[in-house]
Amino acid sequence: MRITETMNQTQFLNSINLLESGINQTQNQMSSSLSFTTASQNPTGAGSVNNYEQALAQSQQYATNAQSAQTNLSTEDNALSQVQSQLQALRNLALEANSGILTNSNLSAIATQAVQIQNSLLALGNTQNGNGEYIFGGFAAQTQPFTLSATGATYNGDQGQRQVQIAAGQTVSDGDNGDTVFNQIKTGNGTFTVAAATGNTGTGIVGATTVSNPALYDGGTYTITFPTAGTYQVNEGPTIVANGSYTDGGTIAFNGVQVTLSGQPATTDSFTLAPSTNQSLFTTVQNLVSALQTGISSSASSTAFNNSINGAINNIDQALNQSSNVRTTIGGRLNSITTQQSVATSQQTQLQQSISNLQGLDFASAITTLDQQNTTLSAALQAFTLTQGLSLFKFL
Amino acid sequence: MSDVFGISVSALQAFQQAINVTSNNVANASTPGYDRETVNLTEAIPQPDGGATIGAGVVVSGINRAYSQAAANQLNTSQSTLGQLSALQNYSSQIDNLFGTTIGGLSTALQGFYSAFSDVANNPTSTASRQALIGQAQSVASSFQNASGELSSLNTDVNSRITADVTQINSIAKAISTLNNQIVTGTAQDGGQQPNELLDQRDQLVSSLSQLVGISTTTDPNGALNVFVGNGQPLVLQGQVTSLTTVANQFNATQLEIASSASSAVISNNITSGDLGGLLAARAQVINPAMNQLGQVATALSQTVNSQQAQGMDLSGNLGAPIFSVGTPLATGSSHNTDAVTASVTVDPNGLGALTANDYVLSFVGGTPKLTNTADGTSVTPVGTGTGPYTAAGISIVLSGVPANGDQFLVQPTASAAGSLKVVLSNPSQIAAAGAVKTAAAGSNTGAATISPGTVLNSAAANLLAPVTIAFTSPTTYTINGVGPNTYTSGGNIDFQGWEVQISGAPANGDTFTVSSNAGGTGDNRNALIAANAQNVGVLQNGTTSITGGISALITGLGSQAQQINTAQTAQAAVNAQALTSVQSTTGVNLDEEAASLLQWQQAYQAAAQALSIGNSLFTTLIDSVNGTFT
Repeated sequence: MRITETMNQTQFLNSINLLESGINQTQNQMSSSLSFTTASQNPTGAGSVNNYEQALAQSQQYATNAQSAQTNLSTEDNALSQVQSQLQALRNLALEANSGILTNSNLSAIATQAVQIQNSLLALGNTQNGNGEYIFGGFAAQTQPFTLSATGATYNGDQGQRQVQIAAGQTVSDGDNGDTVFNQIKTGNGTFTVAAATGNTGTGIVGATTVSNPALYDGGTYTITFPTAGTYQVNEGPTIVANGSYTDGGTIAFNGVQVTLSGQPATTDSFTLAPSTNQSLFTTVQNLVSALQTGISSSASSTAFNNSINGAINNIDQALNQSSNVRTTIGGRLNSITTQQSVATSQQTQLQQSISNLQGLDFASAITTLDQQNTTLSAALQAFTLTQGLSLFKFL
Repeated sequence: MSDVFGISVSALQAFQQAINVTSNNVANASTPGYDRETVNLTEAIPQPDGGATIGAGVVVSGINRAYSQAAANQLNTSQSTLGQLSALQNYSSQIDNLFGTTIGGLSTALQGFYSAFSDVANNPTSTASRQALIGQAQSVASSFQNASGELSSLNTDVNSRITADVTQINSIAKAISTLNNQIVTGTAQDGGQQPNELLDQRDQLVSSLSQLVGISTTTDPNGALNVFVGNGQPLVLQGQVTSLTTVANQFNATQLEIASSASSAVISNNITSGDLGGLLAARAQVINPAMNQLGQVATALSQTVNSQQAQGMDLSGNLGAPIFSVGTPLATGSSHNTDAVTASVTVDPNGLGALTANDYVLSFVGGTPKLTNTADGTSVTPVGTGTGPYTAAGISIVLSGVPANGDQFLVQPTASAAGSLKVVLSNPSQIAAAGAVKTAAAGSNTGAATISPGTVLNSAAANLLAPVTIAFTSPTTYTINGVGPNTYTSGGNIDFQGWEVQISGAPANGDTFTVSSNAGGTGDNRNALIAANAQNVGVLQNGTTSITGGISALITGLGSQAQQINTAQTAQAAVNAQALTSVQSTTGVNLDEEAASLLQWQQAYQAAAQALSIGNSLFTTLIDSVNGTFT
């Protein structure tokens, strides 16, 4: 084959171009520490890296979300723990008031303390987080949820509960609304209440009440009366449900419930057993404060006082229960956040590893490649100069 | 005796000419298009004198150029293919470099946007996080605009290169036609001797032409060369040039097409090789599809974000206003349409899954509408009659009048979307982070039933935000605003006035639940949560591809296309080098070979001169001897 000048030159230029662009690419890789900087160098890799980076950004966002939820839940938990200690203090005051040895002036001093607790509880109900949001307002985060009223407090919030995304397909609530925490509290023992009629003249006082067999309690309303001294009778409307002889401190049991009554009720006295209703914590506190402020003026009013303080204690216990239930769910949520955070951390490490595997540069092999490319290029240059020197004309 | 002089002189003349030819070869060793020449030596025919014949010397019967039509054709074809791939590669690698691995930061901006939505969900009352979201939305919009702007400027570049190519093609064609005339006359004048220099020049022009556009050639018996482009459209016929012109695309005046000046028919579709073919292919296969695909994602982004906004409530208690706006899809009537009917296109809000990145031609033949996909030529009959709406492929087309027979409209559902994506919401409080409705269970409820927070099904429903009471008239029946009774199923959907709630558990007779406007619910983030999660929700390709997935697919798609074109271009460059080698080994000049020839001719010349000198001395001897005899 005839080798011509043009062929020589063209081929040399072509191969030098190829070699130099190869060196250029390796240099680019090394200066960016990336194995590819355009999609064409690794199309599927570039697509996958984009997917991984999106997943990574999302996972990091979930971590931010989790942190924000954690902060809000801690604020709530802290508030509820203070609510609990305030309620505990209130309960102690109620017990003290119910000891039967206090005068009205003592009671009024206790009432003053109770009012202070009432104010603290209101302040706790209106707790704001670092962003100025009322944490117990539901969705209405910028409206003060509780304002005092004659019968307790008005709730201005709603029943919304905010969710925060902490992982793909997993959300946790970053709070609870005030309605759930403070308003939706069952009265009495949580199933039913037993209340003395206002006109009772005897000394009958309601003690412990329990549901002994939930299957038998039908949620009905019953009236306990004392047709003669020493006997009791339970009616559901006109129907007599149970009757028997009354013993001071004894238990009256019917339809799966048990009620302990002590003292001597008069034959005109009655007690009503009704299903529990929801009562705001603030109503409970207000009722207690009113009872304390009213004080005791007679033996009958002493019994009524005792009954109402007992009722208040029952309701405070329910509120304590509610707070601790909510705190339990907060603990559960914080736990799942922590779990999710550690999952997310390892997931992020994994994703970063995948990205680096795909797009990261193996410097050792890049340097080797560069070295090879350099050797090839200098060999090509040398070969060209050597062959260029060969010409018959030189020997003429 | 005189023969020796005649023979020697003929040899001296012939060898001198041979040396001249060889020197000319050496001189043109690096001249592009030069074909190596050789002398044709032929014995001179002696006059018969009845005795034994002695030759009459040597004559130069011609100077031939080394030329192989087959090899030249092969090289020209290969150059056309290489020209096409190089032009294509120029654009695909420009896009590849401009877009990098993130479409110029678009994918990063999108991640930032969705993260910002999540931040708003974490902290819906914070103006700062809302402001940040608007900022991120703007950076998404400007990423789309930048990417689209880069593609548009490539299209402008394609146009100017098409114009330049056509000018150059025409001027080469003119030069070829001139050479044709000279060659025809020259050959006739020189008694059939080929005018090698003219032929070389013409071949070189043909070779340059083949880099610009794919051609085929025929040679007439008189030596003239005819050149055809595309599907056999004549460019040069003997001395006649039918020039090419550029005309605006019948649908899109900003895109130039190629036409033959003879018929002014558009022949772009037939031009598939050469630089010109590559430019057309870059526009049709690389730039416009990339623009459409970007637009498809931009449309989906705008629609999903805006429709989610509409379902939520902003800080002022209004339903959310759109965050993005995107220009309406393009629909252009052909410049050949016989009437002035215009078309307008909208993307079906529920048709994102069916929306494609293709362009379509809506045509009316005999009153029958036909929607043809320009990418693959498949067509469907859209639903609709008269002035429309015609619906298919996720779009809906309305015409301004009844179309005439043969009317055509180019419908580009997504082509303009990426460039026109804008952020139209500027007030941070207008971001609808909250759900539009809220629900509540009455405090006096004695049952254990709970109500879900409520979702919006139809944000356009008239009484969406009007308060509604769901009251249980028994544990198994309920009324809505007093209307009923309806049968209660725990967990079943209750749809009313554009919203949907579920009540689960055991309600008691007399329990009531309310659904009402969430105005004031500034701490609610339900809508923002869904919006933040939308990046994972499949909306494109029949709901199989999410928006970020669409971006990844676009990156991979453009990357593999660029890679494929690079590979094809590199391979074709090798094929071309091979074809060039093949031509060069026939027609090129090897200096060593010429040096050897020079030596050969030099020695032959010296020998002939020696022969002449011997003849001379023979003659002198004879004269001298004759002189001696007579003195």
